[in-house]
Amino acid sequence: MTTTSTTVRRVADIAHGRSGDKGDVCNVGIVAYDEGGYAELCAHLTAERVKEHFGDLVRGTVTRYEMPNIRALNFVCTGALDGGGTLSLRSDHLGKVMYAWLLRMELPAEVAS
Amino acid sequence: MTTDGTSGKVVRLGAGMAFWGDSVKPAADMVRTADIDYLCCDHLAELTMSILAKQKAKNPGFGYTRDVLSLLEGVLPVAIEKGTRIITNSGGANPDAAAERIAELAKDLGLTDVKIAVVTGDDVTSRIDDLMAQGVPFANMDNGRRLAEVRERLTHAAVYTGSEGIVEALQGGADIVVCGRVTDIALYLGPLIHEFGWAWDDWDRLGMATAVAHAAECGGQATGGLYAGGWQDVDGLEELGYPIVEVAEDGTGVITKTPGSGGRVDVGTVSEQMVYEVLDPHNYLTADVTADFSGVRLEDVGPDRVRISGVTGKPRPETLKVNMGYRAGFVGEITFTYTWPDVYAKAQRGLAFLKKRLERVGFEYSDELVEYLGHNSAWGNVIPEPDDPDRTELVVRYAARCADAENARKVFTESVPLYNNGPAGVAGVGTRPPLKELYGLWSSLIPRDHVQQSVRFITV
Repeated sequence: MTTTSTTVRRVADIAHGRSGDKGDVCNVGIVAYDEGGYAELCAHLTAERVKEHFGDLVRGTVTRYEMPNIRALNFVCTGALDGGGTLSLRSDHLGKVMYAWLLRMELPAEVAS
Repeated sequence: MTTDGTSGKVVRLGAGMAFWGDSVKPAADMVRTADIDYLCCDHLAELTMSILAKQKAKNPGFGYTRDVLSLLEGVLPVAIEKGTRIITNSGGANPDAAAERIAELAKDLGLTDVKIAVVTGDDVTSRIDDLMAQGVPFANMDNGRRLAEVRERLTHAAVYTGSEGIVEALQGGADIVVCGRVTDIALYLGPLIHEFGWAWDDWDRLGMATAVAHAAECGGQATGGLYAGGWQDVDGLEELGYPIVEVAEDGTGVITKTPGSGGRVDVGTVSEQMVYEVLDPHNYLTADVTADFSGVRLEDVGPDRVRISGVTGKPRPETLKVNMGYRAGFVGEITFTYTWPDVYAKAQRGLAFLKKRLERVGFEYSDELVEYLGHNSAWGNVIPEPDDPDRTELVVRYAARCADAENARKVFTESVPLYNNGPAGVAGVGTRPPLKELYGLWSSLIPRDHVQQSVRFITV
């Protein structure tokens, strides 16, 4: 920590997203607002970090795919819906708001100017 | 007509429906005010077929999504007059019954000379044992488990079939094509193959058109619904227009929406839909083609107009996906609310009360879940405990999976005494909720030569 004032930066500051279900798999698509944002997503949102961020929500694996022309990363998360949309006990049994948890992920801070 | 940047023939497809129970008015408005050639209606989600199979088992005249009738009641007279052809998978587990009802509706509406095609062949429920004897293992494609684990509890088995049947139906002059479990993509690809005469192995065109279809097939999700990139800036959500795709001979297209409708189509809204329910974008598998979405490009080409290009295709998979449903027990579920002060301590005491009472009546369950609505119902235990002492209220939701209805009912029964005998400050236990039966989804593969679609015509 420095004494300079810093602000919390989140993925939501540079990207938007959407998520959905296929059986017990949830895919989380994150779309950057601009090229700089996409480069930052590519550098920071590794499959490992995303898996860690989801904690118990994702019991299987996380695989990352890139769709560079629309500045999107797609995270395919297995074992992510408590057995799948038809069996899940969760309120969000279809994984519709999983994307928002990833948008909350913090990014490395920038010194406020 | 041209699709900005391309000249020549353009086929206009409208998304009429995105799921069972979706609003029918946008489709009626679209057919009336936009010049579309085809209205493509997807009524089926993964779970829907299980529900429909259950309805058919109770009554052989049911098993289709009945919303198709309210949809067609509003749409059909104009569609027939304008020559807009309708393609729907509302047949679900019983396409023949759906077609009979649609024929009756057409007569009731005073329409004549309406040709309805029924596309079947996806339902392999009655053939499972035969197919297993012929060497199709139906092992679970996600975890390799053997079908024997759930065989006795199967409710249905439906193959995600492709475009062939729809193309045949359109070539036969159908005004309305009623299918069972065809892929959502086939509802769009079928008319395009029919119109452009694409070869069945023209993978690049089929792949490109698959991406255009994918953008449209979830209805309002492409036109500003659920837009996370700026929902505050989307006007007219109450009158959201559904997508229209204008597809050119090379398979590229422009996505737009019904003129004058609410919502918004731009690179932002469409890009969210391009990643929706996509696994590996290099290999987007459908019954007709393996599309490669990885290079997809989106371009704003006018107000509410986005051009989609940059997608290629590879040969279709040799196997087709079969989704089976199986009975998987019941959910026992209850919500109740505690109020300030000490909401979290009260909630935990209330839950302990419920658990103890359930234990005393011999409650049996396989899994359970506690959520605090308004706090962690979306993201579970990655959210810290709701232990702020000044918190004004907390809604507890308890849910358990049980093998039978009798155990599931105990959850509500044993919750009721919370009203008088539990910790102070409780509200909203409510009345007995309807019991929810669970269906598991068993996905597996079948070699495509075991599956033949067939087409039957009914003329009103």
